[in-house]
Amino acid sequence: MEKSHFNFDTKEAISKPVHVGVVASGDLEVIFRPTNQETEVNVVTGSDGFKEVWGNVLKRFFDRYPIQANIEINDFGSTPGVVNLRLTQALEELKDEK
Amino acid sequence: MKNSFVELHARELALSLLDAGTSRELVGPLDNMISPHLEPQGIVPESDDGIVLMKGKIEDKNVLIVSIEGKFQGGGIGEVSGAKIVAALEKALEDNQNGKTIYPILVLDTGGVRLQEANYGLLSISEIQNVVIALKKYVPVIGLIPGRVGSFGGMSITASILSYLITTNKARIGLNGPEVIEQEAGVREFDSSDKNLIWNTLGTKQRLATGLVDEVVDDTVDDIKEAVINEINAKKDAHRTENVDFYLSLLDQLDLNKKLDISSYDKLYQQVKTTKHEVADAVVGSEAGTKSRGRLWFEKLTGIKNAKSSVPTVLHAPKDGKEYIAIVPDAKNAFPRVRNGEVGLQEGFAVASVVNKIVAEDKNQTTKRPIILVVDVPSQAYGYQEELIGIHVALGSSAAAYAKARQAGHPVIAFIPGDAVAGGFLAHGLQSNRLIALDDTSITIQAMSKASAARITQRTIAELEEATKHVPAMAYDIDNYEKLGALYKLVKGIGSWDATDENVAKIKQIIDDAIQSTVNKPANLHFRYETPIAKESGRKATLQVRQLVTEQW
Repeated sequence: MEKSHFNFDTKEAISKPVHVGVVASGDLEVIFRPTNQETEVNVVTGSDGFKEVWGNVLKRFFDRYPIQANIEINDFGSTPGVVNLRLTQALEELKDEK
Repeated sequence: MKNSFVELHARELALSLLDAGTSRELVGPLDNMISPHLEPQGIVPESDDGIVLMKGKIEDKNVLIVSIEGKFQGGGIGEVSGAKIVAALEKALEDNQNGKTIYPILVLDTGGVRLQEANYGLLSISEIQNVVIALKKYVPVIGLIPGRVGSFGGMSITASILSYLITTNKARIGLNGPEVIEQEAGVREFDSSDKNLIWNTLGTKQRLATGLVDEVVDDTVDDIKEAVINEINAKKDAHRTENVDFYLSLLDQLDLNKKLDISSYDKLYQQVKTTKHEVADAVVGSEAGTKSRGRLWFEKLTGIKNAKSSVPTVLHAPKDGKEYIAIVPDAKNAFPRVRNGEVGLQEGFAVASVVNKIVAEDKNQTTKRPIILVVDVPSQAYGYQEELIGIHVALGSSAAAYAKARQAGHPVIAFIPGDAVAGGFLAHGLQSNRLIALDDTSITIQAMSKASAARITQRTIAELEEATKHVPAMAYDIDNYEKLGALYKLVKGIGSWDATDENVAKIKQIIDDAIQSTVNKPANLHFRYETPIAKESGRKATLQVRQLVTEQW
């Protein structure tokens, strides 16, 4: 297990907290919470040694969707593609009831 | 697979059962009630700890859905996950007691105890069983076992106690998984690589044919929802743990000289002639029985030398107005898997028979006789025929009997001079209002042997031992167990084998005090949450969960 922490300078506020996903093998859960602080991502992952990959996946996500949020990720060995998918799903949840 | 039920995750699955727009989740992922025990062991937690509690309506009926996420840590029950289930079911019980009908539905996709939180899992599971028994007086408690994982371990014991079980053909049900049996009893007992044998033995087709589940439906959301509605309306109850005479008769008629296979068991199951069985009180014997701490203390507490009984592994005798029960080893037992004192088929059903009889005799008495369990059970029995016949129902029968006795007002006190392990402890010990243990390093108190636990959690024994240093619930000794706060008393200065007259007198006094402490107290298992150790550290997360569930209910 490895924990990592990332900050991003993104400013688009989100309206409500959302949760998607399950900590299943090859999968992850993502929680977005509104914040007025700096955007923060805390990752707990079962696969050690991929901090750089996490950084890249998250940077690409925030480049496209500069939301301001406190994000928690519990991961059980998902690939970058799955990570991106869950993050995007969480965004869709946000839009759902807007 | 568009509308497959089995493929859904726990939350989707709960939502799919409820009428649209009626659902409300309790203690959900945003409440941040994660397990405090996983991260210290290097395991990624989940924000709902693998349990989804959802209130809502099905066809205008109030329901509570408890849905276990089988894909997170195999659906294992730990402290937080267990406390979520117990707390929600207890609120449902309260509502029903107050005339507000709410139907609980349990979706089981679980390997049983979460081995990384071992002793918390066992405690929680016994607490779930207790509240299920209480709920069944008001409403049917329907169980759904959709599959992939199925239902194993202590949660299968729980499943046997539920009113009615609906499954699909993608589920398996058993007490011990094939890997554990192979680990404990050898590959000749059960080959865990023989998938065909596993499905034919533990799959729902076989389970339906021999009364271990009640209905197998197609794996679609619509079919499952329809079955649930029908069975709630019909107030179905399989009374699965009440067929004690049937199973004791079946065991008498079993040919133990050859290995039991599926077709001969099916035939036997159909042909059993049920006769009334009564386990005779233990009497003085001419030769000493197989030596054990449990036997020693049973004999000393009851004053019966070389105690023997009609079921050699189950000793029961009245003494000074109290009913003593012990499960003991028997080196020559006809069932090889119980020779070291394990709780097997006969043990579970025989204990249930004894306890049910005591309860029936005292039905109209205002003061109910105390039942004292002498606990020295190294585990449940690991065997192929045990699984085929349904050992989880045997253990469920005795657990249910003890829970009913306690709920009827019998003080149920466990005295632990020996081991208290896994399913054996759930069947014989954990339904007690009070637990008393000797402070002896020889006592093992756990959910699974080190070898099996290491294999299942894919760790080495060294890694497992390292984990026990950080998480007391993982440890195997009584001193760490005390840290959970579940004990009424840990008796210092008396060793497991030191049953001197003076020490026996001391223990009798402690048992009497424990009985006294139950007078005018609720007949539930809350004592375990209320000890100073539990409040301060042992059950902190449990108490937090209970608080949150109450607030959000």
